[in-house]
Amino acid sequence: MNMTGEHGHLPGGPGPLDVDLDRVWTGVAAGVWCRQPGRAERLAGRLLRSPGLARALLTTPSLLLGWVIATVVVLGTGTVVTLSTGTPLVPLLAPAVAAAGIAYAYGPGIDPAWELTQSMAIGDRMVLLVRALAVFGLNAILGLVASAASGAAAAVTFGWLIPMTAVCALALAAATLGRSANVGVLVGLAGWLITVLSARAVTGQFSAAFTSTVLIVPYLIAAACCAAIAMYATRIPRGTP
Amino acid sequence: MNVELTELTRRFGRTEAVAGVDLQAGPGVFGLLGPNGAGKTSLLRMMATVLPPSSGTLRLLGRDPGSYGPRREIRRRLGYLPQTLGYYPGFTVAEFVEYFALLKDMPSRQVPRAVAAAIEQVGLGDRARKKLRTLSGGMLRRVGIAQAIVNEPELLLLDEPTAGLDPEQRVAFRTLLREFGQRSTVIVSTHLVEDVGAACTEVTLMDAGKIVFHGTPGELIAQGEAHGVGDAPLERGYTAVLAAARS
Repeated sequence: MNMTGEHGHLPGGPGPLDVDLDRVWTGVAAGVWCRQPGRAERLAGRLLRSPGLARALLTTPSLLLGWVIATVVVLGTGTVVTLSTGTPLVPLLAPAVAAAGIAYAYGPGIDPAWELTQSMAIGDRMVLLVRALAVFGLNAILGLVASAASGAAAAVTFGWLIPMTAVCALALAAATLGRSANVGVLVGLAGWLITVLSARAVTGQFSAAFTSTVLIVPYLIAAACCAAIAMYATRIPRGTP
Repeated sequence: MNVELTELTRRFGRTEAVAGVDLQAGPGVFGLLGPNGAGKTSLLRMMATVLPPSSGTLRLLGRDPGSYGPRREIRRRLGYLPQTLGYYPGFTVAEFVEYFALLKDMPSRQVPRAVAAAIEQVGLGDRARKKLRTLSGGMLRRVGIAQAIVNEPELLLLDEPTAGLDPEQRVAFRTLLREFGQRSTVIVSTHLVEDVGAACTEVTLMDAGKIVFHGTPGELIAQGEAHGVGDAPLERGYTAVLAAARS
């Protein structure tokens, strides 16, 4: 396997004795095989002060182009439906889409190299934190754009951000406790569905789930508890008791 | 000593996968032998800081992996090949090795050269820009080895590294192991006793979570001279030690 070429002699005759062809070839190969990071990766690397963390961020399943396009399509459809029927669909969809994205920021069940990443210097907890924040931020921006485009009132446009935070925290807590991204998606979606249906049952309106000011404090408490659970589930286990 | 294990235990429910293991290892190539379920993989995963021990003490490269800072420092100097290598099918060989070099926190300027050197060391230079989904099982194993050695680790942990390699590749791989063993601690878990005989300076035999033999390959061979069963001297030593441990 290891290249153990003769040192210092070029084909066809003697060469300078201080030329190590292995070293030369490795230098050439390094230049040829070197991947040039894209603009987003370079920017993330500067912001995070870690090229490794930036690379891990850009490999997040829910930040890949296909996922982002799917999110835009879902929210775009919600915008069209809201414009045509008046039903505020974007605020109902945005937390669910974000919760799924956050759950898929977590490795087990979705990252084939999870076992290996657990042994890396850049810890999986830090990777998860950065990924979750990025997914949350992107989904919040896309949701706000869709919500504003649908012409909803300000209370509706911004009202779902707090429920979204709670649902995302729930999905993350479930994923980390269950050690499965799919569990996180299921629990997050189920939690949001139950909340919306409960609001509908009590007030007769789906929109109560994200416009009722009474729910803000419970949402915030739920978000804080779920974040604490996620922190606990991803704590660094003591190597020695 | 790069590896110091004292009374190391790992339980999964009621099952004790690793039962009070004591082990010390400095530079060299150490073979970890044992039947299926002996606890080799659990022991290796604890040394890779992937699995925390249930009890006992573990010191790696002179540090306690239980604390964040030392653990990170250990991981920078660690190479690990898991038994089952998960990979990203859309990555090329070079991208995959580079990804883990970056996650090992290598200085980014050193990464391209280190990636190229690691890929060449495992003989995949002609496949460096091929997608992982196009590679055979043996080639994927070599990609796994490349990511493990990309940071020139001081502690190299390899779980069944030669699974899927053809005889020629295995011979070359043993050479690579011996080279690494001159400056690093290399611990190789394997079922293949011939790998141990050819590459390892010491061998540890595990059964039911315990170490039942520790010594040189020559000493293991000597154990089987009287009543071992097997085709090769090391196999006879292996079976004799296991039989004695179980009797």
